[in-house]
Amino acid sequence: MADWLADNTLLLGLALLDGLAYAALVFMVAVGLNLVFGVLRIVNVAHGSLFAIGAYSAASLGLAFASAGLPPWAGYAALVLAAALVGAVLGPLVERLVLRRIYGQEEVLQLLVTFALFMILEDVQKLIWGVQPVSQDLPMKLLGTVDVPFGDDVIPFTIYQLFVLPGVALATLIGLAWFLRRTLTGRVIVAVTTDKEAAMAMGIDAARVTLLTFTFGAALAALGGALASPTTSLVPGIGAQTIVLSFAVVATAGLGQIEGAALTSLLIGLGRSVAVYFAPEFEVVVPYIIMVAVLLVRPQGLFGVLETRRV
Amino acid sequence: MSASGRPGDEAVDRPRQGTAPLLSARGLRLAFGGVKAADGIDLDVMPGEFLAIIGPNGAGKTTFINMTTGYLRPQAGSISYDGQPILGLSPRAIVARGIGRSFQLPQLFTEHTVLENAALAIAARAGLWSPLAPLLRPAWRTEAMAVLDRFGLAPLAGQRADALNEGARKLADIAMAVALQPRLLLMDEPTSGVAAAEKMGVVETLVRVLREAKVTAVFVEHDMEVVERFADRVAVWSQGRIAALGPPATVLKDPAVLRDVIGIEPPTGPPAGLPARESGHA
Repeated sequence: MADWLADNTLLLGLALLDGLAYAALVFMVAVGLNLVFGVLRIVNVAHGSLFAIGAYSAASLGLAFASAGLPPWAGYAALVLAAALVGAVLGPLVERLVLRRIYGQEEVLQLLVTFALFMILEDVQKLIWGVQPVSQDLPMKLLGTVDVPFGDDVIPFTIYQLFVLPGVALATLIGLAWFLRRTLTGRVIVAVTTDKEAAMAMGIDAARVTLLTFTFGAALAALGGALASPTTSLVPGIGAQTIVLSFAVVATAGLGQIEGAALTSLLIGLGRSVAVYFAPEFEVVVPYIIMVAVLLVRPQGLFGVLETRRV
Repeated sequence: MSASGRPGDEAVDRPRQGTAPLLSARGLRLAFGGVKAADGIDLDVMPGEFLAIIGPNGAGKTTFINMTTGYLRPQAGSISYDGQPILGLSPRAIVARGIGRSFQLPQLFTEHTVLENAALAIAARAGLWSPLAPLLRPAWRTEAMAVLDRFGLAPLAGQRADALNEGARKLADIAMAVALQPRLLLMDEPTSGVAAAEKMGVVETLVRVLREAKVTAVFVEHDMEVVERFADRVAVWSQGRIAALGPPATVLKDPAVLRDVIGIEPPTGPPAGLPARESGHA
């Protein structure tokens, strides 16, 4: 074992660093998915499309800013702006025009409708951005790299992936927990999650809360995509890959668990990353092996409490 | 205690005879398939009164509450509150008019503390939704504590709602409804699930608070002792219709009510007959 570790220190280090960055992105999407499910009680397959459109929009906006001669740091503003725009425009549009019509309907119908929406949005992406890879890595290159010591080796790793991605994810985790547990709007969202009928009996505008929550969740997915855009070439299908992993995170953590989703994102992100470096043939299945193993032992998820907590 | 001997009577506006009803239902009809949940309900609720609704399961008692609070829409009939029609309004709009309700199962927000539950009701009433403002702002905290104190719940303010016993849950549920400052409160079985030993204490507390707050109350109840002690009038529901209506002292002695609703054989003797419906009330 010691010999194996000595021989593979560099790869292990890379796997850990990559896994951390990947976990941060998955968390952003999974936590939004979780929040939306808590209030709407709909498993929204189209959540992955919001990630993809956020990514493409951020890349396009960043390229537009660069073409317009704006300073390089404007690329970071493009990431945030794209996420906010996608959340603010697509969020209300999807909730009002599609999801509002299927609240309280059978789960099969809800899944079919959100899957159909996902397919439509996939084609919309191809229509707008084509099928050729889109790349805008300036925000990542701009910050450069840092040498991370790992045993006797040094791993040069991008500051963007080492600090920005986990930093934003951590800020989202802390901010969301504070928002939901301390603010009036957050407590109202949790109240609607706990008991929509009682909230309405109290005079709370549940429709408004639903719209607000979905828009917020959509913006989180889009922010995940926007932050991911400098780290990879964008191709059709990134939304599908992300939503499936996010489902794995949410199911493994337990529905409604924010901190649990963070830890599970880390577990699944690291698991996948280790597989990429040491057993690439298992890369795709490792997250689901983790999920199935957890659900066999704890059907409510690692951190879930049966039928009590939803946000 | 007043001459009538009812708890909380000291502070009450007694039902004002001769004044306009606060709630008025006329000809309400609603059927679920072949089951008539409301089959021509006519009922007036007078300001300040406590009206108990009794009847067997499936008689349409909860349906009446659901129709009045906007959760169900009758197929025929009308409902007016304070002289204004309210049929077709959303539950939220009806709450805003001043009609509160509590459910058979307490609808507390179990993720919240008791204090937060009351504060949420105050926030809902105030209609303020500033995104990052705290829920427990000083004014709302003070008011929420005052409401809880009236129900004897202040010592439990910091507890999560799911940690309360059934009696406290019922009181907290109604405290939330009172925090909305309704003029009319409809309660669906406010004592169901409460242990026998604490039932009277729970009812006395809620009647006292509601009387002090001058809230008119309609409550569905199965415990005849509660009805007899606390209701000004009692309406007997049967197969979607009001079979009898009047003071508990009269209605609860009616042999048909004793037999069909309470489930005991009436004492033998001269037939008493159904009490006459009070004119002007229903």
